[in-house]
Amino acid sequence: MAVYKRTYKAYRGAMTPGWSRFTVLSRYGFATLFDSRMFTAFTVLSFVPFLVCLVFVYVLHSATAQQVLHAQFGRDPNSIMTNYWFLSFLGVQAWMSFILTAWAAPGMVSKDFANSSVQLYLSRPLSRAEYLLGKVSVLVVLLSFTTWIPTLVLFLLHASLQGHGWGWDNLWLAFAIIVSGLMWIALISLLAMALSVLVKWRIAATALLLAIFFLLPGFSFVIEAILRTAWGSLLNLPYVVTLAWAQMFRVSAPQHFRGRFGMVPTWSAWVTVITVCVLCVWLLHSKLKAREVERG
Amino acid sequence: MPAVIELDNLEVKLGNRTILAQLNGALSGHCIGLLGPNGSGKSTLINTLLGFYRPTSGAVRIFGKDVRTNTRELRSQIGYMPETDAFIADMSGVRFVRYMAELSGLPASEAMERAHEAFFYVGLGEARYRKVGTYSLGMKQMAKLAQSIAHGPRLLLLDEPSNGLDPEARQRMLQLVREIRDTGEVHVLFSSHLLHDIEECCDQVLILKEGRIAALCNLEEERKANRQFLELEVSQENGFLDAVRGLGCECASIGAGRLKIVMSDNIELRQIYQLASDHTVQIRRMNYRRDSLEDIFLKAMSNKPETNGVVHGSL
Repeated sequence: MAVYKRTYKAYRGAMTPGWSRFTVLSRYGFATLFDSRMFTAFTVLSFVPFLVCLVFVYVLHSATAQQVLHAQFGRDPNSIMTNYWFLSFLGVQAWMSFILTAWAAPGMVSKDFANSSVQLYLSRPLSRAEYLLGKVSVLVVLLSFTTWIPTLVLFLLHASLQGHGWGWDNLWLAFAIIVSGLMWIALISLLAMALSVLVKWRIAATALLLAIFFLLPGFSFVIEAILRTAWGSLLNLPYVVTLAWAQMFRVSAPQHFRGRFGMVPTWSAWVTVITVCVLCVWLLHSKLKAREVERG
Repeated sequence: MPAVIELDNLEVKLGNRTILAQLNGALSGHCIGLLGPNGSGKSTLINTLLGFYRPTSGAVRIFGKDVRTNTRELRSQIGYMPETDAFIADMSGVRFVRYMAELSGLPASEAMERAHEAFFYVGLGEARYRKVGTYSLGMKQMAKLAQSIAHGPRLLLLDEPSNGLDPEARQRMLQLVREIRDTGEVHVLFSSHLLHDIEECCDQVLILKEGRIAALCNLEEERKANRQFLELEVSQENGFLDAVRGLGCECASIGAGRLKIVMSDNIELRQIYQLASDHTVQIRRMNYRRDSLEDIFLKAMSNKPETNGVVHGSL
């Protein structure tokens, strides 16, 4: 089909491996996201806390750097770089990643529905699972680089500067960082995708996501007060996630988590997170179709 | 010619409704027309071919492979142009087509090259860097065609490709379909409710009615048969009828001097005039027409759909 000939010719060349098709979606997804200068700027901004902490950890371990900067911490770095410190850092990055998700995720799927292009994707050698994998992988990579990867880098930097087998002794902390980060990413990615597929409108999907994280906690307090039970707090996703993270990082849950009616057990936090993820996967599976079928 | 699409007692139910029932037949044309009134199951059949809907019973095969078990492989050989608007509004035209070609399995560099070529081919070369959302309806149709051919499919499914096009754009679309058909490298399934479009492009036609096959005929054979129908009104017969039969034509008198003649291949109209002159018969009125797709369609619509779903040859 040469341009100058302008005739149709079938393609007989090499094809890419079937398993790699979802990466096309990821590649174009990244390119589309970073077409926006605002988004790019915010992504860069989300690395600022990491860079600051990177310098902080180095300075903490370097007497020379402390002298140059006239900073005297005067304490054992291990007393500062505790599991609580890493949890706090991950918490800050998690909220950064939440903003990135609220910005990026709804548009990734809802635009395809708005333009009816889902049928074009699925008419190609691409399954629904691969379509979702392609879209979700954009978020997973992006959010990994803003949550658990920088936290893990700080852990490794501290471990290498501290020496004396600190890293080995605290390997559980690295595990906690990775699992907590991935749990958060799975929760917000799947939730954002499922809401986009459900409402098929970017603005509404973003609003719903924000409502779930900021309005639903208020609703959970109302339920707690009316029913006089602590179980209402399971509707409060930030609370639930913090509870699970506290267990992973071996820190006690914040004092204000113990409300008038006590605190829900940690296992229920995990069950809630897993339930939400499973519900989102079910929603995505049932709603993401090339063609709507009217039952009747 | 080996069958491109084989329907083997195909039945598709959506919810509790039976949309396609007892479809049997082998479609082997280079350009296969899919005709039928609204709600007859044309789009459902296309969606089933794409694997979007699973057959409730029976099977459908493309190039001899069952769609249900070879969906992925077949999709890489199919180009699909949907009836409704389907595009990525905030992408440039060429990027959109390249994206779709890459998803079909072309390497990035090949996809880029063929996206440009496809855009030039459909006549949108100058507009290829504009965002698809800014295209006119006609341009969007052409962009949809470009994305369906960029990866060089073996089977092209066109669902109402001339919808919403002005006469000039429609002619351009039909011309492109004919060109693609004539390359012989791709089979086209052309779904439309416009008989003229089908007649211009297709060599085989499948007519659906209420989810069943109302007719499946080879237009090319119909054209070759070239059966010509004459309706004459004459002053008196004077043995004219027998003389016409003597030429080898089928002939019938329907009263009041009106005759119906089915002309055979080797008979020309001039010979009829000559016979009329020889028998001093005055021809007062003559309608000259051939069995068109419209006749086939109207007959198919007036008939009860075949219960076994198969109708071969002429009607």
